[in-house]
Amino acid sequence: MNTPESARGGFCFENAIRNSVLSANGYKAPTARKTGTTIAGVVFEGGVVLGADTRATSGATVFEKNCQKIHYIADNIMCCGAGTAADTEHTTQLIASKIWLHALATRRKPRVATALSMLKHMLFRYQGYVSAALVLGGVDFHGPHLYTVYPHGSTDRLPYVSMGSGSLAAMAVFEANYKDGLTLEDAKQLVYEGISGGIFNDLGSGGNVDLCIITADGQELIRGYAKENERKYRRPGGYKFPSGTTPVVPGSEKFKEQSKDFALVTEQDGMDVSA
Amino acid sequence: MTPIQPEWTSTEHSMGTSIMAVAFDGGVVMGADSRTTTGSYIANRVSDKITPMHDKIYCCRSGSAADTQIISDYVRHYLSMHAIELSEEPDVATAAKIFRTFCYYNKGQLMAGIIVAGYDDKKGGQVFTIPLGGALVQQPFAIGGSGSSYIYGFCDSNYKEGMTKEECITFVKNALSLAMARDGSSGGVIRLVIIDKSGSSREFHPGNKLPEFWQG
Amino acid sequence: MASIGTGYDLSSTIFSPDGRVFQIEYATKAVENSGTCMGIRCKDGVLLAVEKTIISKMLVPGSLRRAHIVDKHASLVVCGLISDGRVIVDRAREECENYLDFYGRPIPGAILADRLAHFVHLYTLHWSVRPFGCAILLGVHNGEKQGAQLYMIEPSGVSYRYFACAYGKGKQAARTELEKLSLNDKQASPQISCEQAVKDLAKIVVSVHDDSKDKEYEIEMIWVRDGKPAAMVPRDVVQKVHDEAKREAEADSDMEDE
Repeated sequence: MNTPESARGGFCFENAIRNSVLSANGYKAPTARKTGTTIAGVVFEGGVVLGADTRATSGATVFEKNCQKIHYIADNIMCCGAGTAADTEHTTQLIASKIWLHALATRRKPRVATALSMLKHMLFRYQGYVSAALVLGGVDFHGPHLYTVYPHGSTDRLPYVSMGSGSLAAMAVFEANYKDGLTLEDAKQLVYEGISGGIFNDLGSGGNVDLCIITADGQELIRGYAKENERKYRRPGGYKFPSGTTPVVPGSEKFKEQSKDFALVTEQDGMDVSA
Repeated sequence: MTPIQPEWTSTEHSMGTSIMAVAFDGGVVMGADSRTTTGSYIANRVSDKITPMHDKIYCCRSGSAADTQIISDYVRHYLSMHAIELSEEPDVATAAKIFRTFCYYNKGQLMAGIIVAGYDDKKGGQVFTIPLGGALVQQPFAIGGSGSSYIYGFCDSNYKEGMTKEECITFVKNALSLAMARDGSSGGVIRLVIIDKSGSSREFHPGNKLPEFWQG
Repeated sequence: MASIGTGYDLSSTIFSPDGRVFQIEYATKAVENSGTCMGIRCKDGVLLAVEKTIISKMLVPGSLRRAHIVDKHASLVVCGLISDGRVIVDRAREECENYLDFYGRPIPGAILADRLAHFVHLYTLHWSVRPFGCAILLGVHNGEKQGAQLYMIEPSGVSYRYFACAYGKGKQAARTELEKLSLNDKQASPQISCEQAVKDLAKIVVSVHDDSKDKEYEIEMIWVRDGKPAAMVPRDVVQKVHDEAKREAEADSDMEDE
């Protein structure tokens, strides 16, 4: 009796044959492309330290080298966002405004658990289609809190967390160096190292390290706590060229010979492209 | 920050899990591993899958973390309102029934396997399971999650009627250690919740101090 | 009624200048014209009784029910318009079923009474509906701990919990009679049994009824006793007790005559 293909078990080399045929025909196999973010947070004695890289990408292109991924929720609560930039931006803004109204209505300082609950309910309602992966941290009546929120609406509470494509790099640093009862300086250093791990080892992360320190006394956002990818070289002559300039590869004799035949392109002679 | 990301950033946060609960005369012992995964990445190695519903009613969660967290939030809300309205402690069966209602009426959209267990004065220690489709079954003991498939035989041969609390604790610890050793998506530590007439208490067993009797 | 003709009685959504809602008061009138209904909380359950006027000699005994079983542990009698009462009975059954389905335990009397009162009250708020022309006596038994409970819900949507109560045509006389029974001890726990209450209520119905003025009647009784499902008190039992009460009453009046 014949057994159906799928039930036979073992290895299937069907795709290997197909792939070799495709590459023989000149088709290049797609290469892995990673994009994303590194965000993280650590709890210390009197508060929390949040951190983020500053790279925003669009496909394989770095879209923005110094964006802010640590978002404001309330004076005592901040939220790092990874995932789709528009979604994290909108989600955190919406919750920030809901939290403010809630604080006015209850006449109390907002609590981190309230923000957490609002975020998780919203993300759950959208069943993962709002792709916001968040690190939520803050200090309230009950002390310092640190949570992660996943796009589907699940949440975790841990003393040290990381999110985004660089989270493995950051988590590796945390798992190696985290200790209970960190001081503020230790915590800042740890988060900085974690984010750096993401910036240097994850293709999707890059730019600077932003930190945010939240304590019972207030919060401090440090944009560019470390700028390790600052431009090292700048052309002494600047980058402005008179219009009409044509770049010439030095020593290109062929061009020199022909250049007599070319009219000098000036601004007046510019091509009309207005139509 | 674009959709092109490694699978574990966008896949659902889920709990390939080993959970169980055993009733003894006058209470229950509940146990769970602590591994939460997104794809092949362990998102949380010390998660708490035993969630309080009321003073003496807890639930073990397996399946999607988001789904089970939301459901248990709702059930906790309904149960506490019910307890206030009644001005007495709710029945374990009531908690299980509310879970069943949510799981059954939303079965198309949920991934949740839940064990509800606890103590009430009427019927003592009780264990209920609500598997994926939203059925509600009462059992003397229940196992659940991906790790449970490895320990059906162990549990059936080692469960005895009328075990003491201590025997139940050993039974749960052994069964979970076996499941966690064989199931790739279970692991970490063992968390236990013990519930009886006087209330609930917790036990924590670190991953490097689990029973190893089975290694021979 | 002082303000008749001023238009303040046309809708339950309009108050009269002195703060009354006439439609609700008219509904109450419909209840007061009804045969007397009574209820007693006993030590082993709760008993409800209703005096049902027989509108025609051709009527089959036991038809045109006023006493209804709502659930295993709940019963009610309708005082007033029977058809209005049936809507409330349907609703009560629905509430019982939903509660049992969701919470896995029978609905407590307090909650059922509360939900029915809400339902009845809704009909006093909208211009498109009229209030119910009936009051409800509700007898619920919630097991050993909470015991038997007796509630009354009026057309206005208020609900009261009673040891014993009466409503309808003979309510004044009936209430006076009920107060004479030694229902409770000092701790307010009930003293008489359901069996005894059947006799007491039959007696009260007989005494309240004016044979010379009122029409023929039939007594319907319903009870929920310890560990037993709600049930109609068997007709032969009611008949026997009623005949007894009647004989006694006649003997008494004969004695007075002498």
